[in-house]
Amino acid sequence: MAMGITIAVVILYLVRRDHLHGSYAIWWIGAAITIGLLGFFPRFFDYLALYVGVSYPPVLAIVLGFGMLLVKILTMDLERSRQERLIRRLAQRLAMLEAQGPLNGASSSSPPYKTETEE
Amino acid sequence: MTIADRPIALIPAHNEAATAGTIVAQVRELWNCPVVVIDDCSTDATAQAARTAGATVLPLTIQLGAWGAMQTGLRYALRQGYRTAITLDADGQHEPESIGALLEPLASGQADVSIGAFPERASRARRFAWRYFRGLTGLHIEDITSGFRAYNHAAMRILASGEASLFDYQDVGVLLLLRRQGLRIVEVPVPMQRRANGASRIFRSWRVVGKYMLQTSLLCIARAGYYSRPLVDD
Repeated sequence: MAMGITIAVVILYLVRRDHLHGSYAIWWIGAAITIGLLGFFPRFFDYLALYVGVSYPPVLAIVLGFGMLLVKILTMDLERSRQERLIRRLAQRLAMLEAQGPLNGASSSSPPYKTETEE
Repeated sequence: MTIADRPIALIPAHNEAATAGTIVAQVRELWNCPVVVIDDCSTDATAQAARTAGATVLPLTIQLGAWGAMQTGLRYALRQGYRTAITLDADGQHEPESIGALLEPLASGQADVSIGAFPERASRARRFAWRYFRGLTGLHIEDITSGFRAYNHAAMRILASGEASLFDYQDVGVLLLLRRQGLRIVEVPVPMQRRANGASRIFRSWRVVGKYMLQTSLLCIARAGYYSRPLVDD
């Protein structure tokens, strides 16, 4: 029980302090609630296993946990690929801006900035 | 000539101060077209040399690799209103004299992309890799990795899109994307110099080659049977 509550509290603390952002926070609050509840009702999986017909309850917990982890890791890599694309395009855009900066800086509406080329 | 029918030369460069200036000057002198050097986080004086020779320099803040740099150039060219782009390597292995031959099929409307090919330059290992990828992709192109190319406006638009941003190399993935959009690719035989400086970015060590072969094979297999989709607007 203590372990479940500790993990849940740590996660909730991280979400509250804004260390976990947006949709990640939702996932992790769900995880915190699940872990917390399991801390209070450790026999939950025994009933669930009986209900779905798994003869050895801990296996059910492990399989479900593993499945959730797999989904989480897969979505993480999807997100990373999306961000990689964004970062690359951002770097390209920055390079284009730096190339035209000194020439168009005065006439364009963008705020003035200093480029390396002027040094 | 208006900006629309003037080609622009794009040269990605990474630590190629020794040759970048010369190649920029040659292209400018021979073809009188604007030259853009994309400086892929060089630690030497590449940008300086290119700028002195009269090129516009696009300085990348993080190293994006050969294709990332090339795409930067293509996006820049489109924004500036150019409709034809020529790409060259900065190491001096492509002869600016051959640019005319490269532009020919585009001007006559015979193709959307032309690739300057010089298959004889390749080592046995490289030729084996090409044959392997040709078999895997069904592309009828000899020199898959050549960086000496000309793109027309349609090709530039496709390659500047976000869909092409996650490629690491300018070869198979790029060619497959072009084919999928129904673009015509031709090869033009051109003479090539030995690399004046530096080695290929891909064929330099077994570890890198292994990673490249694995990544590219996966790309080929993932895109198998995925061609001839109608052209989508971005």
